[in-house]
Amino acid sequence: MYANRAAGTAYVLPFIFGLAAFTLFPFVASLLLSFSDYQLQDPVSTASFVGVENYGAMFADRTFQKSLGVTFLYVFVTVPLKLAFALFIAWVLNFRLRGIGFFRTAYYLPSILGGSVAIAVVWRYVFAGDGLLNQAFEVFGAAPANWLGEPGYAMFSIVLLRLWQFGSAMVIFLAGLQAIPEDLYEAARLDGASPWRMFTSVTLPLLTPIIFFNFIMQVVQAFQEFNGPYIITGGGPLKSTYLLPLMIYEETFKYFNVGYASALSWFLFVIVALFTAVAFWSSRYWVFYAQERGEGK
Amino acid sequence: MNVAVLASRATPPATGTTGEGRRTLQLVLRYGVLIGVGLLMLYPLLWMVGAAFKPNREIFDSIGFWPQSPTLEGFVEGWRTGTEHTFGTYLLNTFEIIVPKVIVTVISSVVVAFGFARFRVPGRRVLFALLIATVLLPKSVLLIPQYLMFRELGWLDTFLPLYVPAAFATEGFFVFMIVQFMRSVPLEMEEAAVIDGCNSLQVLLYVVVPVIMPAIISVALFQFMWSMNDFLQPLIYLSSVEKYPVSLALKLAIDVTEATSWNQVLAMSTIAVLPSIVLFYAAQKYFVEGITVGSVKG
Amino acid sequence: MPPTVPDAGRGGLGLQGIAKRFGPTTVVEGVDLTVAPGEFAVIVGPSGCGKSTLLRLVAGLEAPSAGRIVIGGRDVTGVPPAKRGMAMVFQSYALYPHMSVAQNMGFGLKIQGLPKAEIATRVARAARILQLETLLERKPRALSGGQRQRVAIGRAIVRDPEIFLFDEPLSNLDAALRGQMRVEIARLHAELGATMIYVTHDQVEAMTLATTIVVLNAGRVEQVGAPLALYQRPANLFVAGFLGAPRMNFLPGRLTSQPAGTLSITVGAATVRVPRAEGPRAGTSATLGVRPEHFALVEPDGGVLRGTVTLVERLGSESLVYVRAQDGVAELASLTLRLEGDARAARGDMVGLAFDPARCHLFGEDGVAVGHPPSQEGSSARASVRGVV
Repeated sequence: MYANRAAGTAYVLPFIFGLAAFTLFPFVASLLLSFSDYQLQDPVSTASFVGVENYGAMFADRTFQKSLGVTFLYVFVTVPLKLAFALFIAWVLNFRLRGIGFFRTAYYLPSILGGSVAIAVVWRYVFAGDGLLNQAFEVFGAAPANWLGEPGYAMFSIVLLRLWQFGSAMVIFLAGLQAIPEDLYEAARLDGASPWRMFTSVTLPLLTPIIFFNFIMQVVQAFQEFNGPYIITGGGPLKSTYLLPLMIYEETFKYFNVGYASALSWFLFVIVALFTAVAFWSSRYWVFYAQERGEGK
Repeated sequence: MNVAVLASRATPPATGTTGEGRRTLQLVLRYGVLIGVGLLMLYPLLWMVGAAFKPNREIFDSIGFWPQSPTLEGFVEGWRTGTEHTFGTYLLNTFEIIVPKVIVTVISSVVVAFGFARFRVPGRRVLFALLIATVLLPKSVLLIPQYLMFRELGWLDTFLPLYVPAAFATEGFFVFMIVQFMRSVPLEMEEAAVIDGCNSLQVLLYVVVPVIMPAIISVALFQFMWSMNDFLQPLIYLSSVEKYPVSLALKLAIDVTEATSWNQVLAMSTIAVLPSIVLFYAAQKYFVEGITVGSVKG
Repeated sequence: MPPTVPDAGRGGLGLQGIAKRFGPTTVVEGVDLTVAPGEFAVIVGPSGCGKSTLLRLVAGLEAPSAGRIVIGGRDVTGVPPAKRGMAMVFQSYALYPHMSVAQNMGFGLKIQGLPKAEIATRVARAARILQLETLLERKPRALSGGQRQRVAIGRAIVRDPEIFLFDEPLSNLDAALRGQMRVEIARLHAELGATMIYVTHDQVEAMTLATTIVVLNAGRVEQVGAPLALYQRPANLFVAGFLGAPRMNFLPGRLTSQPAGTLSITVGAATVRVPRAEGPRAGTSATLGVRPEHFALVEPDGGVLRGTVTLVERLGSESLVYVRAQDGVAELASLTLRLEGDARAARGDMVGLAFDPARCHLFGEDGVAVGHPPSQEGSSARASVRGVV
């Protein structure tokens, strides 16, 4: 520790400034805007206070209800699936196989590229009417589907895109799995535990901090998904993939309803905050922080 | 103990009497799963690259990824793009955004992290908690006011909104990661430097930064990757096509007409992901180490 | 507290009224100390006694809550570490992993702005003294523990300091290397003639390396003096029990009447007359201290005390005999005896314990020594400094 507090404050100053200017101020401004009727093309001074009118309109808006619904659907489907799959593959990999590095790289790569437009573009082709997936179906004798045209199927395409990026969560799980000492498994084996038993009684409990971390990160990210819906499906068909971030974007830059869009964005924030808060509160009951091995600290 | 010795370290529990056979079965199953999933995972990428070398017609004819009549037509035409700029312009734009962004991210993250890690800054705990909170904050709630703010500043249609915020350590995850690494630097080493006559900045530059260089490289790599994929930010801030980075240019390509020349689009997509792939393979260990320290030990 | 800190000249250290508090906890209190130039002062004490803190105060890595620090006649209490004229060798060596040995040693000089030629000369000289010449281009990770330590020392030497500070430098080494490095450090002191302040918890290092020992306990100085002086004339129970291994044996007793020139202490059923000029009055409790090497085994009824042997450890050159001394049926104390060669005793033997009262130490109720054994010349003080390893 250095004694010079002034120097320390100087080092942290950029962050304080950035926090104030790019986070705190917009955060509060967003709330204020949500109480206004501001239209994007006008100067800000024309905005006037309208109380909770935007929020009222929001709850009555059928588009919003639909958007909220599909957003929840998206999050509740992708997050558990992605985590489960990531954990499964991490467990399969954690067998001291040769080539573990290669597989880890292969799985991780999509998650780096997956958020890119390039991949979204590829995805759009894959699910197009005459695209890759339908061609594959024909080869195997199944009937092609109108993936991007049918309300029911479009969601499938963006869900799959997110699942395809399970690599980042997997790598973290893998690190966590490898941090569990062998002795615990051996002790369990001497006690006669079956592989499944070992997984539930040794692996899972020690992994809970990482599951918790991954869970929170995935939920927060899922609620912010924009690229997929925008590029692949455009929010359709019939708003079946009109996730909230997309709605916020369109309300702002297409319909210029800044006040309304701000209300939407604040509502989204509240939902995510609630989720996070509940997750943290519940973590007391199911997250088990083991001591660092060998150390009393 | 002896049981442990008998069982090879590589074997997690094999119950049942035939240890050997059981293990082989496990191996086969595991490799099977891994290869199967791996193929499924990589096929879209493989296919994309293959399609880039196909003439447009062939793309719709088969699902195999190997081109039957390979051609560079996709690349040549795609490079020209349908606009008055070549793809090269868009690539250049991308780098004009990313390079400053990565540089200022690294500098600001290291400086701020040093303040958090080694100084008793007043209000440190609160600030640090806020730092972590920003990682969990949905950015969509900040989007509109930020846009309005930059509009007031006259920064619309410039690259400034895309990298200036990064100069203020706004990416909490990076600061957090570097703080963890800095804490693992033995304090005695920094004290030795103090005794050698260094002020805190000299300790940072001569001792701390060289020691945590792997972490710094990780930060740079991650920021590079994430920025390459950045779509929403350029979308709302850039209006001139000549300033478009690759992400916007690709979207433009599939917007243009219904009869998209997919081989061209996919060729350009291939080029777009190339830097990330190359960088990733070259610096793999930094990636993995970076996220694991940031998350497992976080 | 002395009115002024004596100016001990270049290389002298003076601490006056030094205290260090961290919030409500007091780590160091009321320390007054003078170290003359060229001395090898070892600050020794159990873990947590504040010795490292004291060293860091001298180094300037911590600021004292009270008191003054004087180095070479200069008051350096508020002066930053780099300008105090001292150099420090850390317990973990604290070498810069990304720099070569030569760069590690020259770093401080580079920061000071010395010309390259000068830096090279000084580094070469230090390398010669420490036999590091062939290792100058290596990085620390390519060095052994002992080599790293020498680089750490080299880094200190190039600064040409008035005082060297050592913070438990041998703790990270294995036993064999430790002995070797101890000799190296002693040789270094002889060759350089510089003042060295050395912190350790190992009393063996203290006894062998020091010209003066400072015994620290719970932040306070218990006693300061030459090693043998402290060994033969400890000021209190703590110092008596800290220096010397196996530890001095303590027998609880009570002072009785005092024929002139002696103090009588009843220990159990026995009465021991210890030659002392004066002391506390009769009736007060006291402790008799007898070093393990001052005992002799005799017939059960032929000694001052009797007891049962519980364990015998034979090391070849000597034996350690553990005896449970008895007062009638009750246990009086557990004693450790050090006898030359192969002791003729076995577990379970009833034995008598004899010793020369003139060699005994006596400590009053408050733990403070009551006088000292008359000084001994010759074979008597087989002052065992080598601990039982």
